[in-house]
Amino acid sequence: MIIPHPLLGPRDAAEFVYLGDAALIDRPDWQAEDALAAFHDYGYLRDNPAGPHKELWYHEQGDRSWLVVTRDTTTHEITAVELARDVARSRGRSA
Amino acid sequence: MTQQYRIKGGGQIDRSTDIAFTFNGKAMKGHPGDTLASALLANGQRLVGRSFKYHRPRGILTAGSEEPNALVQLRSGAHQEPNTRATTVELFEGLAATSQNHRGSLEFDLMAATDLLSPFLAAGFYYKTFMWPRAFWEKLYEPVIRASAGLGRLSMQEDPDRYDKGFVHCDLLVIGAGPAGLAAALAAGRAGARVILADEDFTPGGRLNAETLSIDDMPGADWATQAVAQLTAMDNVRLMIRSTVYGAYDHGVYGLLERCTDHLPDPGGKPRQILWRVYSRRAVLAAGSTERPIAFGNNDRPGIMLAGAMRTYVNRFAVAPGQRIAVFTNNDDGWRTAADLSAAGIDVPAVIDSRDALPPIDLPGIRHVRGAGVVDTVGRKGVRSITLTDGQMIPVDGLAVSGGWNPNVHLTCHQRGRPAWRDDINAFVPGGTLPPGMAVAGAANGALTLAAALAEGRATANAQIKELGFKPSRAAAPRAEDEPRESAPFWYVRESTKRAWLDQQNDVTVKDVKLSYQEGFRAVEHLKRYTTLGMATDQGKTANIPALAIMAECTGKTIPETGTTIFRPPYTPVPMGALAGRARGRDFRPFRLTPSHDWAKANGATFVEAGNWLRAQWYARPGEQGWRDSVDREVLMTRKSVGICDVTTLGKIDIQGRDAGAFLNKVYCNGFATLAVGKVRYGLMLREDGIAYDDGTTARLADNHYVMTTTTANAVLVFRRLEFARQCLWPDMDVHLISTTDGWAQFAVAGPNARALLRKVVDSDHDISNAAFPFMGCAEITVCGGTPARLFRISFSGELAFEIAVPARFGHSMMDVLMEAGREFDAVPYGTEALGVMRIEKGHAAGNELNGQTTAHNLGMGRMVSQKKDCIGNVLSQRPEMIRDDAVKLVGLRPVNRADKLIAGSHFINRGDDATMDNDQGWMTSVAYSPSLGHSIGLGFVKSGDTRQGEIIRAVNPLKTGEIEVEIVSAHFIDPEGERLRA
Amino acid sequence: MPDFTLTSAPPLAGYDKSFADLRLTSPADLALVSLALPLGGEDAAQKAIKSAYGAALPVPGKSVSAKDGARLVRLGLDAGMVIFTHATPDAERVVAARLGGAVYTTDQTDVWTGLELSGPTARAALERICPLDLHDSAFAVNDAARTAMEHLGVLIIRTGQDSFLLLSASSSAGSFLHAVETSIENTI
Repeated sequence: MIIPHPLLGPRDAAEFVYLGDAALIDRPDWQAEDALAAFHDYGYLRDNPAGPHKELWYHEQGDRSWLVVTRDTTTHEITAVELARDVARSRGRSA
Repeated sequence: MTQQYRIKGGGQIDRSTDIAFTFNGKAMKGHPGDTLASALLANGQRLVGRSFKYHRPRGILTAGSEEPNALVQLRSGAHQEPNTRATTVELFEGLAATSQNHRGSLEFDLMAATDLLSPFLAAGFYYKTFMWPRAFWEKLYEPVIRASAGLGRLSMQEDPDRYDKGFVHCDLLVIGAGPAGLAAALAAGRAGARVILADEDFTPGGRLNAETLSIDDMPGADWATQAVAQLTAMDNVRLMIRSTVYGAYDHGVYGLLERCTDHLPDPGGKPRQILWRVYSRRAVLAAGSTERPIAFGNNDRPGIMLAGAMRTYVNRFAVAPGQRIAVFTNNDDGWRTAADLSAAGIDVPAVIDSRDALPPIDLPGIRHVRGAGVVDTVGRKGVRSITLTDGQMIPVDGLAVSGGWNPNVHLTCHQRGRPAWRDDINAFVPGGTLPPGMAVAGAANGALTLAAALAEGRATANAQIKELGFKPSRAAAPRAEDEPRESAPFWYVRESTKRAWLDQQNDVTVKDVKLSYQEGFRAVEHLKRYTTLGMATDQGKTANIPALAIMAECTGKTIPETGTTIFRPPYTPVPMGALAGRARGRDFRPFRLTPSHDWAKANGATFVEAGNWLRAQWYARPGEQGWRDSVDREVLMTRKSVGICDVTTLGKIDIQGRDAGAFLNKVYCNGFATLAVGKVRYGLMLREDGIAYDDGTTARLADNHYVMTTTTANAVLVFRRLEFARQCLWPDMDVHLISTTDGWAQFAVAGPNARALLRKVVDSDHDISNAAFPFMGCAEITVCGGTPARLFRISFSGELAFEIAVPARFGHSMMDVLMEAGREFDAVPYGTEALGVMRIEKGHAAGNELNGQTTAHNLGMGRMVSQKKDCIGNVLSQRPEMIRDDAVKLVGLRPVNRADKLIAGSHFINRGDDATMDNDQGWMTSVAYSPSLGHSIGLGFVKSGDTRQGEIIRAVNPLKTGEIEVEIVSAHFIDPEGERLRA
Repeated sequence: MPDFTLTSAPPLAGYDKSFADLRLTSPADLALVSLALPLGGEDAAQKAIKSAYGAALPVPGKSVSAKDGARLVRLGLDAGMVIFTHATPDAERVVAARLGGAVYTTDQTDVWTGLELSGPTARAALERICPLDLHDSAFAVNDAARTAMEHLGVLIIRTGQDSFLLLSASSSAGSFLHAVETSIENTI
């Protein structure tokens, strides 16, 4: 596979390490009332879609950036690649 | 032996040079430009092998990579290579080829009696017969079957050849250098695109080399030569011959096997083959088509060959496959074989056409048998006559068969594309979704005639490169005519009562397909598994379509309804050596060496692999009888005076930023907010699920500057997690990470004389007294007159200890200096074994204890997990099941009988209980012989172990005999109060 | 006067070998210092770099040569490297002093080992281990990229039309040299 890196252009997937669902960005609030349940879901529950999937890839043999790659799990077509840091900020992790 | 079947004149061979080769030891000659198959035929050698299952005599069926029969063994000794297709082997001086799969000589195969057993060996035979008794399978059936069935033999020696891998990039990959591929490459090349043109043959041109067709008023082969010359002159075009594109992978990546030196007697030290990864933006598949046979009785005799292959041998290699050759066809193309054979002076007694129609080509003097077929043939080691459906018998020494042509759609299906059926050509063409970026042109796309293929190659390439922004050149398509190509579906001669072969490599017949149908294995994928159709090294390139046409007939479905099996890479076999590339033996993976590696090597070290690292395991001294002697000495000397260990392999991560401290507080479960500059703290990292992950120390060098150490094994993983935390979880923290693992040579200096030793090395303006530089202190210092260094007062051994780091370039020298400075203290170097013994004696957890199943609570560090801050893992670590009072706890263990040896992995059982998992009390994680205590000691996890000190339980090891009684003790066998390390 | 002295021995020091039209050398005294741009302080950092070196960090994947011969490489959004010739083990301090605290610096000199490959067929040799497209149109002079070659992380910089600087981890210098040498031997 080839991942079009937003800063560096197309790079072989062999340079990357796969983590999984980009929902891992949405780490729950440790002080919330339901923190235990929320962390349980965060840690263990994943959607497993046949189709577009937002997932985390780490450019380990590259610029060390974490990326959010939107990949169709049935075709491997990649439709979007974003810096995970930008995604994290946009999901309100700046606080 | 002379080349008695060589046709006078013509062919793309260099008659001025002879090439000597042998087949089964028989000396033969050929010419440059020959394949082994063409040279064998030129020498009259038509019998080349025995079939897989029945040991039937077999000859050469094709002239290309689709060959099912002519598999031979090449070369000898360690270079021996089985199962190579004689039809693709380029002849070279001294080539030694032997036939395969027979006992005794090829002509009188002792195993040929198997053929008489054929009524019992039909499809599914193995499944039905060799099931019972079960014990016989491994001991009797399999060895016997393996000895009788099979292909060539491995040399059983290490492959002496070199292989390589490589990466190439292009705008357009053109697969196949036949007419469509050449036209495509010319178009894209002229437009300025970066083109790779790959072809499996050693002479580009594809069918142009095998035909007598003209392009631009010149012979097709000459046009191909001219086109290749034009392409070679273009900087932006790379022609790769002897190169098979074997797989189409995601996002325009293709696998390509280049055979670099297989055609040379001696590779001259260069790689034999290169496995290329081709990165393409677009691709044109111009892989041509493959002729298929018609099945009829005894259609596997040497001398019976595909009609197009006959033309190849006559036109390209100037070889007559026989002297009297009949043609059996269901299509117009077979007639062209009759014409070309006849033109070459070969007697063509008849063209038998399954169609009841007028001849497409007028061939005076050749009998036309309309609406007929061949039912049987005679001639065990070479066809001598054929019998037609009307009973007439024609003496021949060759038979050309054409059942029509299959577009080579394989690569279009590698991403699950399904081919589509075209009634007009009675063949599957690319259909459904092609691999993104791929387009198909020429015969591979069903454009089976020359003018059409040329035009389509050019147009397809132009369309592809236009998408990339190139402006197609105005050069016109080459001029050519279309050949007659009418065909009728006709798959097998139903009047035949004798075995009619479909898959000649796996010995599958028409009857086997019908049997498969009768027994309910009707889906193509079932048919394939039940009969082994298409499962041989040729993957049924000539066999599959006729077989599934027969299955379609049985089921009353159409061929497209019946469908094909899935095509998967590789298109043709790829040697294991090429897949391995350079990754063999010591080159399997890179080695990482510590800065003192050479010093250690020169001082008796034995090394152990720790990931990619080689670490000194122990340093043997003369007179020591085994590793234990060395390790015991290293431990005792270190505890008595001072020892030195290279600990460079521990991961070092430089952490800087305004929020560095806050960040550490997030990633370690214990508090880091209060760590002062000049201090080191032990840190434990959890996974988000609360399981212990990694531990190490982090030093604060300056307000915004920390250095973290990780375990050797987790250095890369921890770095990755920290980057995840930094970028994905806390994106607005100002914190920056960079690995400095390799940058610093770091040595543990441990033992009562550690400080005295270091005082001789550390520059005197740095006070390292206990008062000025206490336990868990750190400082940036200089050593040996100004060399920058870092000093940490940390201890893994439990002794007064320091770790001292210098820039790696000084590492070797530093080891020398430390040993020299330590001479007066009898300083010893120690390896990872002594390191391990000392940490067990001290009760420090390591990888065996942090094994991915244990929590801080289990490790006795539960109170370290701060509940006053947000950090990775703290929420889930507090789940009730993970903090049970009766959870396993880390304890020390010693044998009640001090002479007993503890065994890691033993499980603990209370006295009087049965040794069952229900009664399991925990397990032993680490054991060592403690030279300090004089007996075996262990660490382990015991249920409620923290409250059971002094209790005696059993350490049971069902894998090794016996069990022993052990006493639960403190994990801190040595200096439990920690007085030594604070000294 | 100290009792002991340390001698410097970088892993590939002094390596210099010619193969047909190619030359492979380990550049002497190559110093590397990583630059991390503080979050929110990127502009100030770039300003400091520019005033120290006469050039700011270029965009990721590019490098520039500074007035004094140092090379500034941009490795990522907030990361770069300055590569220069410097013999003593204080490269970080030298760079930090020039940047006046506007950039986080870490000495990387001993983390890496360098090989310079030069000659007309350099690209053909690299093709056997480098997955990146090194064609002029894709990897021009002064382009820089991190990738993996033979399982080793490598920072590759095109220093000239026919020359490339390859940097890889110093602990695996032997394996790295072997990988590059094998590629050369397999292609010349």
